[in-house]
Amino acid sequence: MYQIYGVVALLVIGYGFGQLAERRHLKSLIAREREANALPAIASRFPATDRAYRQQLVGGSVVIASDYFKTFVSGLINLFGGRVTPFESLIDRARREALLRMKAEAQELGAGYVFNVKYETSRIGAGRVPAMEVLAYGTALIADEPVALRATNA
Amino acid sequence: MVDYENRQPAEGINVTAGHPLRRFAILSASAALLVVLLVLATQFAGALLGRFVPFSAEQRVMRSLDIEFGDAPVDDPVRHYLNELAERLAPGLDLPAGMEVTIHYDSGDTFNAFATLGGNLLFYRGLLERMPNENALAMVVAHEMAHVIHRDPAAGLGGGVASALVLAALTGNAGTAGASDALSRAGLLTGMQFTRRMERRADRAASGAVAALYGHLNGAATLFELIQAERAPSRRPGWLERFSTTHPLDADRIEAITALAEEMGVPLHGAATPIPPQVSAALSRTP
Repeated sequence: MYQIYGVVALLVIGYGFGQLAERRHLKSLIAREREANALPAIASRFPATDRAYRQQLVGGSVVIASDYFKTFVSGLINLFGGRVTPFESLIDRARREALLRMKAEAQELGAGYVFNVKYETSRIGAGRVPAMEVLAYGTALIADEPVALRATNA
Repeated sequence: MVDYENRQPAEGINVTAGHPLRRFAILSASAALLVVLLVLATQFAGALLGRFVPFSAEQRVMRSLDIEFGDAPVDDPVRHYLNELAERLAPGLDLPAGMEVTIHYDSGDTFNAFATLGGNLLFYRGLLERMPNENALAMVVAHEMAHVIHRDPAAGLGGGVASALVLAALTGNAGTAGASDALSRAGLLTGMQFTRRMERRADRAASGAVAALYGHLNGAATLFELIQAERAPSRRPGWLERFSTTHPLDADRIEAITALAEEMGVPLHGAATPIPPQVSAALSRTP
């Protein structure tokens, strides 16, 4: 019986903190994305050619873990099948966060664009704790020293 | 020149709409239903298999376990009388060849009697002393004998152990306690749970045996009237009580006896046979 109380307590804690964290994170994501939109991240493999750019690899990664509630519900979904909805918003937020971190690095370098943006995910920590890393990376195009850039390219 | 821009992503396009708690409730209820169905199915299968265990094997196991039932020696007058009553009831119950019951008696105050593996029946003084006549007592003895004849103890154990094991396998640690509890209760053999169907079948067979012995069913319902009086009145509504208890409701059983009497064409009333005075004396003596 005590085990059941324990599970219920963990579910309540997981749900409470999970929801709180999600709401806060979404709010922060939206605010930061509005600012970061000034620096376009583009999936295209062909960089802008309007001028000469210095190119540099930039990346941003985030490691996320599920809470007890999400893990529990996804376990139940495993039984019946269907969309694993508890993880959808979690991973969506992780992707957006990783992209923002990548853009932050590009912004620090004074980049005008990030091209050839890609995402990678990998599972971390096999076993009971579902956690994963989301990595966003791309090629930052920095236009600060076009002359020097041309010299390097030659 | 190509114009490159990033726009604010639309909210919610990667997320399925719906409240997480709603999904949780539906999933948990479905999973619980699945577990209940699985446990019921294994209980049924275990009970089915339990009945296939030969009665001789049941007896052999019980002999090797050597469990003490009751506190009365073989020559106890009450035990002797119960044995004799069981012998008189046996023809009306169609006791199969090779099956025999062993009567045990306990002078404790417990208001109970039960049938368990190996044809062992235990009657407590607490129940017997409340019996107003032999007819009522015969109903109790015949009822417990009917359980043995129907192989209910083996079926109950088989079903209980099988379902407990499935529950343990499903729930891991949380279920292990339940399984070991069920197994230890099975070891004690006092908490043997029979289903309501088993009880109704036993009632029916016992009524037949009592009618065959006395020619009427007077006293057959006495046991249930006594149990009803013994039990504290329940505040739960009848339908809930019916659902949650293993024994059929006493009122339902009394009604069933009346219906049985009609069906068998046996009168419900007749001269009651008294319990022999030396037995009554032994029963009323407080140990």
